[in-house]
Amino acid sequence: MLKNITVSPAPHISKPLSTRTVMIDVIIGLVFAMIAAGYYFRLYALILISTCVISSVATEWLCNLIRKNPKPTESLGDFSAVVTGIILALSVPPSLPVWAAIIGSVFSIAIGKMVFGGLGCNIFNPAMAGRAFLTACFGVLMTTWTVPATLDAKMPKISADNTLSAVTQATPLAWSKQAIKTKTGTHTVNDQIQATLTGEIGGCLGETSTLALLLGGLYLLIRRTINLHIPLAVLLSASVFAAIAYLINPDAYISPLTHLTTGGMLLCAFFIATDPVTAPLTTKGMWIFGIGTGAIIMLIRIVGEYPEGVMYAVLLMNAVTPLIDRFYKLVPAGGKPNV
Amino acid sequence: MKINTKGRLSFPGGVHPPESKDLTCESKIRPGPAVKQVAIMLSQHIGAACQPLVEKKQAVQAGQLIGEADAFVSAPVHSPVNGTVKEIALQSHAILGRSMAVIIDADPDNNPPKLPCSEFKDGFDENKYSAQQICDAVREAGIVGMGGAGFPTRVKLEPNPQVPKETMIINGCECEPYITCDYRLMLEWTNQIVAGVKLAKKAAACSEVIIAIEDNKPQAIEVMHTALKTHENGDNIRVVPVKTKYPQGGERQLIKAILRKSVPTGGIPPMIGVLVQNVATAAAIAEAVVTGAPLTHRVVTVTGEAIANPGNYYVAVGTSVGELIEFCGGVTEPSAKIILGGPMMGIAIADLTTPITKTTCAITVLTKEQIGKAKFAGRQTPCIRCGRCLEACPEHINPTKIAHAVKNNLLDVAEDYYISACIECGCCSYVCPANIELTGYIKTGKIFLARQRKKMPE
Repeated sequence: MLKNITVSPAPHISKPLSTRTVMIDVIIGLVFAMIAAGYYFRLYALILISTCVISSVATEWLCNLIRKNPKPTESLGDFSAVVTGIILALSVPPSLPVWAAIIGSVFSIAIGKMVFGGLGCNIFNPAMAGRAFLTACFGVLMTTWTVPATLDAKMPKISADNTLSAVTQATPLAWSKQAIKTKTGTHTVNDQIQATLTGEIGGCLGETSTLALLLGGLYLLIRRTINLHIPLAVLLSASVFAAIAYLINPDAYISPLTHLTTGGMLLCAFFIATDPVTAPLTTKGMWIFGIGTGAIIMLIRIVGEYPEGVMYAVLLMNAVTPLIDRFYKLVPAGGKPNV
Repeated sequence: MKINTKGRLSFPGGVHPPESKDLTCESKIRPGPAVKQVAIMLSQHIGAACQPLVEKKQAVQAGQLIGEADAFVSAPVHSPVNGTVKEIALQSHAILGRSMAVIIDADPDNNPPKLPCSEFKDGFDENKYSAQQICDAVREAGIVGMGGAGFPTRVKLEPNPQVPKETMIINGCECEPYITCDYRLMLEWTNQIVAGVKLAKKAAACSEVIIAIEDNKPQAIEVMHTALKTHENGDNIRVVPVKTKYPQGGERQLIKAILRKSVPTGGIPPMIGVLVQNVATAAAIAEAVVTGAPLTHRVVTVTGEAIANPGNYYVAVGTSVGELIEFCGGVTEPSAKIILGGPMMGIAIADLTTPITKTTCAITVLTKEQIGKAKFAGRQTPCIRCGRCLEACPEHINPTKIAHAVKNNLLDVAEDYYISACIECGCCSYVCPANIELTGYIKTGKIFLARQRKKMPE
């Protein structure tokens, strides 16, 4: 009557949850930003997102083949490569040529993830590693911003160096750099706060619409795919530093709210910094990680040469994540054992 | 008076597995099978194993002492049936692998089924017995913690002048899914449990007793509460509902939830003046003290979707799992997983001759479909460091770090992350999205460490 009895360690039941469901949740969270991107940048968005996703997945498959993985397609099923592809696409300018997007995706997956041993082993956020590579190689392409398709003529179409331009649109943060140099003109940027809500501004594909990113973040929080620690820490620390600068000289430094709504800050807080693989495990560690990320972003934006800073902040904090984890080791509920 | 049956008291961490208690929660405690043969394990408790006191072919009576040990931390074992000793041999043991057991052939003509004790009425007076009498009766009856750990109850009860016990918590949480034996006990043997609680309180000289019940058992909370009202004579015994969450019934978690105190890591509750007893143990204490009967039978929940007639049975210790499953109509699915205990902490067994011990609360038989649903049937994927195991861990340790240290044979790292603090509740494995058997690795690591220590001189 009883054959093939299974024996295994307890527990014998489990929560219906897998890496794949976690990744699908992230993808659903990103759908809002993708819709916004599609609305403002039309065909560009579609081309870039599909290019990045397809080349990311293809790269992972090729890497599996090279590593002589007996089941080269199995690891594709967790959709982590898809998430990387989408995040990379959402963090590049809409006008980026397809070939550059492919190079970025290949770097993200091959160097950012697979050389470390695949999912779970990478030190740096793969999408940010790919974006850093693109920025280093194709600086001009990565800072050329197209005008959102819905934008009408009433907005000033100026590029970052204040020359009139019909096809490009500086990001609010590029303007703010200009304001820092001239110590004036922050109101042009601060006035755009309403446009940042919907996303009618220049910028990377997925970073423009505050509303879409907030909706996506809310979805992830409700689904408990991410917890509140990292987003809260990033946003709080960034706004504190932005507020200090703003209070010192409101003519040179834009308002904290503008800082929070532009330049991929929300994309970072909800989708990039919360990448579990490259963020600390413990609650205390998450706060340190988030505060550090927010602080470095503001340091770069206010003092540094780059207008944005999310990418470098995340990569730098990724590098110290193992240290944070070691430093904030959990103490058991009953205290340390007396050995 | 209406009692509030909602409990908010809880501990940080934990999980909410599906309860699945409706299979057996309405099933009254019925007598178990009339066994042909029993195998009494000589080691059914924490502590020194017993030495057999009987020989092959010797006739034994029900309740006769058949094994005893001189060590302080130990409990004697008794025969549950009239019959003859067939042999003293190795037998499959759920935890120890193989262990010595006294195998007794029951006399088919002279073995009336043992019925639950009917001595207990309202208004039990524990003052007829002195504390010493109670402790002696508990020791002679071989009572051990019946919630699962099997720590000899006498050792727990006896007052220790260095650390006086202030509070006794009676554990009626039954947080494991599927199991309902403690629930039925509270409903049906209410007076016996109350008597046992009073006796234990007197023996341990506690000033306060809290009966903790999870708030998914409102009926049990009410019944116990009413029973205590009837017995009311300023005893300072009360029922406290606690939040339904796994592992609420773990004694460290229960103490945290009710008293807001932490038991030191590697320590035991008496170190902070607390004593935790299971409700089944309380019932056994009452029976042992009042009637002098040893612990030879216990209530076992036979449950799971693959069992034809799930229910709660009053079973002789030593009955084989296979016999009990046959008695419940056998299994309905061709392939199954047989678990001694509940699905979260129970041990899957392969040998159906494994006997019931004093600590076996339940036999859970899961279907092939359910095992398939459990993700462990699938492939383990890499850890994505999501931290769900850290959130779920009621002991606030880092399961993924420890498990990966054990996997890579870095036992020093595992110790550095407090592997010894793990209570093996299974919450980490339950929530892991990457299908990693964290609890399994941690258990393995603990065994490796114990072996290492044995090899090394002190």
